[in-house]
Amino acid sequence: MNTVDFKTLLKKKEFVLLDGAMGTLIQKSGAKYEHAPETLNITRPELIMSFHRAYIEAGADIVYANTFGANAYKLDGSGYSVEEIIRAGVANAKKACEGTQALTALDIGPVGMLAEPAGAMTFEEAYEYFKQQILAGADADVIAFETMTDLYELKAAVLAAKENSDKPIMATMTFERSGRTFTGVSAASAALTLTGLGVDALGVNCSLGPDELEPVIAEMTKYTDLPIIVKANAGLPDPSTNEYSILPDRFAECVKELLPLGVKCAGGCCGTSPEYISRLKEMLSGELFISYPKAADTCVCSAGTTVEINGPRIVGERINPTGKKLFKQALVDNNIDYILTQALSQVSGGAEILDVNVGHPEIDEKQMMTRVIKAIQSVCDAPLQIDSTKPDVLEAGLRCYNGRPIVNSVNGEEKSLSSVLPLVKKYGASVVGLTLDEGGIPKTAEGRFEIAKRIVERAEALGINRSDVYIDCLTLTVSAEQDACRETLNALHRVKTELGCKTCLGVSNISFGLPNRELVNSTFLTMALEEGLDLPIINPNLDVMTGAVRAYRVLSGIDKNAREFIENCAEAAPTAKPKKTETVSLEAAVYSGLKNEAAQAAERLLETTDPLEIVNNMLIPALDRVGEDFEKNKIFLPQLIQSANTAQACFEVIKRSLNKSGGESVSKGKIILATVKGDIHDIGKNIVKVLLDNYGYTVVDLGRDVDPQLIVDTAVKQNIKMIGLSALMTTTLGSMEQTIRLVRETPELQNPDGSSKCVVFVGGAVLTKEYAMKIGADYYCRDAKESVDTAKLVLG
Amino acid sequence: MPERLNRREAVRYLGGSRVEMNAEMEKLMDECEAELLSRARPRYIYKMITLPDERVMSGEDIKKHLKGCGSAVLLGATLGAETDRLIREMQVRDMAKAVVLDSLASVAVEEVCRRADGLIAAEHPDKYMTFRFSPGYGDYPIKLQKTFLTLLDAPRKIGLSMNGSFLLVPSKSVTAIAGLSDSPVERQRRGCAVCNLRQTCKYRRNGEHCGF
Repeated sequence: MNTVDFKTLLKKKEFVLLDGAMGTLIQKSGAKYEHAPETLNITRPELIMSFHRAYIEAGADIVYANTFGANAYKLDGSGYSVEEIIRAGVANAKKACEGTQALTALDIGPVGMLAEPAGAMTFEEAYEYFKQQILAGADADVIAFETMTDLYELKAAVLAAKENSDKPIMATMTFERSGRTFTGVSAASAALTLTGLGVDALGVNCSLGPDELEPVIAEMTKYTDLPIIVKANAGLPDPSTNEYSILPDRFAECVKELLPLGVKCAGGCCGTSPEYISRLKEMLSGELFISYPKAADTCVCSAGTTVEINGPRIVGERINPTGKKLFKQALVDNNIDYILTQALSQVSGGAEILDVNVGHPEIDEKQMMTRVIKAIQSVCDAPLQIDSTKPDVLEAGLRCYNGRPIVNSVNGEEKSLSSVLPLVKKYGASVVGLTLDEGGIPKTAEGRFEIAKRIVERAEALGINRSDVYIDCLTLTVSAEQDACRETLNALHRVKTELGCKTCLGVSNISFGLPNRELVNSTFLTMALEEGLDLPIINPNLDVMTGAVRAYRVLSGIDKNAREFIENCAEAAPTAKPKKTETVSLEAAVYSGLKNEAAQAAERLLETTDPLEIVNNMLIPALDRVGEDFEKNKIFLPQLIQSANTAQACFEVIKRSLNKSGGESVSKGKIILATVKGDIHDIGKNIVKVLLDNYGYTVVDLGRDVDPQLIVDTAVKQNIKMIGLSALMTTTLGSMEQTIRLVRETPELQNPDGSSKCVVFVGGAVLTKEYAMKIGADYYCRDAKESVDTAKLVLG
Repeated sequence: MPERLNRREAVRYLGGSRVEMNAEMEKLMDECEAELLSRARPRYIYKMITLPDERVMSGEDIKKHLKGCGSAVLLGATLGAETDRLIREMQVRDMAKAVVLDSLASVAVEEVCRRADGLIAAEHPDKYMTFRFSPGYGDYPIKLQKTFLTLLDAPRKIGLSMNGSFLLVPSKSVTAIAGLSDSPVERQRRGCAVCNLRQTCKYRRNGEHCGF
């Protein structure tokens, strides 16, 4: 049994020496293996042990067991279980360590499948793969995750380690010359997220030689106080000889040059050998560890974008159903695209962080939070603020979030403090603290300050840094209590100056009940910024609000030389005033895909014409004409889509007017669309969706890689009679068949005589009509246009 | 990446080769092309293998394809996760553009393969090279995708992997094998005969060809 552990090693030793490549040694030895090099743990244990011993003799304090790819996915078909391979691997390393002070690391690499959203492996699946490895490697001294390129996968790994063992964790990722990983993770985001999750050391391995790693490590170290690991390649391999370009002496010199960046643990990756490690040991002896304190202020991040809260940053408030009828409807209908549109338009408007609130009594908020966060992160890189009153919803969001988010919120109530703060700590987030408690919102600044202080103290007691607590002193409606505005601002000022916290404030509440709300809001915003507001939660699509923040940044000297301000003004300036266009008819505008003109035409028509008449006698015929021209090869598919989207803009106008007058709905019926389980190509399905939407059908889009059960459940719950399925590959036709079978077999979807209530139409590149009929579909649609024709036939 | 992508090919992928080009479409393609070329991060990797190699042989078509070849090159190419992300984002922002981007990206990944072809040919000036043949063509099993990716170490080297249904991720990617021979090989078009889509192909239906 070893007398030292990893944490003592970090404290005791100036530098912790890691081993070098395992794969390179196996390759050079010429050892033959079936399926995976990890099988050698069982077939050639002596060989593997000899490699470990060589590294220990060279000076390694930690050796990585030969378990890098020993996961259930990669070992499938090898004839060995994960447990067998890992136990043998860890045992070999431990045996080699016997009689020395060296430690054994359970080495874990990527699963080998890309995680969502790029790939199909879910976060939860990744977690299970890693959990199995971690449980199997329980005898190791430390867990080392390495060669990771996806922060999301690495987060699943770290959580699996934290929740299934108490071992220290080392985590390293692989970067390209661009300073990012293959999946676009920045070094800053990696450092922030991993530090938040509570790993013990983090850094870089593989990919580049030590001579090229300086920029990546320099960025990482700016965002963390943790020990930095460097396990570089021996340069690049020569494609013909497979010899690496950097020799041991030069390798050691390059690593030495990285020491001022706070490097604490060093070893080698591809192409290195015991000789590299012994040179490294010689080079480092006599050198002193140079601590490099974290330089950045508090930050939030997604996998690719980091926002440092070192001045006011705009938080977009629009993803929130409160007081928004359309948003509520989108939640009930599972209309994620609506929410995504809100996300992207806020970012275009200037939001740097997006608040996400999906609380609504008619839905499962927890499930929706997970779904919405994953969906937003698949198209939008802005960091998110997870907003809910329910701790279980917050946790669901924190778990599946990629990066370092903000939790909105905790307050001074004991129940809230004791349930929310531990989540903030565990998932390494920052948190909004509301200055209210069991007694409600204190009237005075003094009262709110006291609650803020309590929240900060409780957070610190749990190890949450006070700069990661963003205090919200609460905006009250000025038309109800005029003095309250001053109290809010005074509280904000005290929190900022006396507690050293960041501050946050929902701004729009101030003007409730007053005319010209924007003016009141923007004036209040400016006052609050001057008192030290860091995170204004506003509608970023209102120029006056976003503009106030940007102007403040100039006036307070944050935006140097007004660079950002000028850039944004240039963007916002209208490019040459459009010529006063003659009024275009609705039909012509739809045909040419002119969105604004079409919407205006619809508005004009509504003054004199019945809405349904516009839909049935103008809009639909105009779309039909476009459809016909498309079939006759007169226009391109994207132009058909543009026309359809233009029609959509008209529908919006008409719907609004109908909602106002309380008239009948223009929806011609609901249709479920889904790309079947296993299939991730969904562009075809999405084209169908656009067309159906614009012909007035309500599409419930379940997305891609959809479980048959979800399709059936949705049909039952929302009483939907028409289902469209898409599959692009021969390999996924099976799941299409399975889905149809489940639809037919579900009693709730059958008529009393046993016939099916649902009409199923199918499409996709590899389908034929014959095959569609064989697997039990009602209709085969060869393109999007035919899907519309089918919908007309079935639903009218 | 080249500065311009082959528009005719992109239009063909869109199923529009019979449509006369118009100014609106041209403008749409300009915008999409600029966006794609600035966001895509193309990568490729190749590896020589000596034939015969059981690991990559399965079915009759590949035997025919590699007939007379003493070695072969395995190729993996991808536009990277950024391109998938761009297309996803555009499906929310503007579906018409997303469709154009999708087809331009297909052209671009083929362009990356051609570039790799050129390098391989230059490294083997004394050899003749067959066309690229990919898992999923003819009777060449799509399941070999896993073997290709493993042999190329593609997940680690260029960030290319697959899902449980053997679809490549990122989706704008290619894996292929091309034979190298000492004597001239018939550079037969891959053609419809070996294509699994020949029954349903929208190009064939319109009397066209996808270009492969």
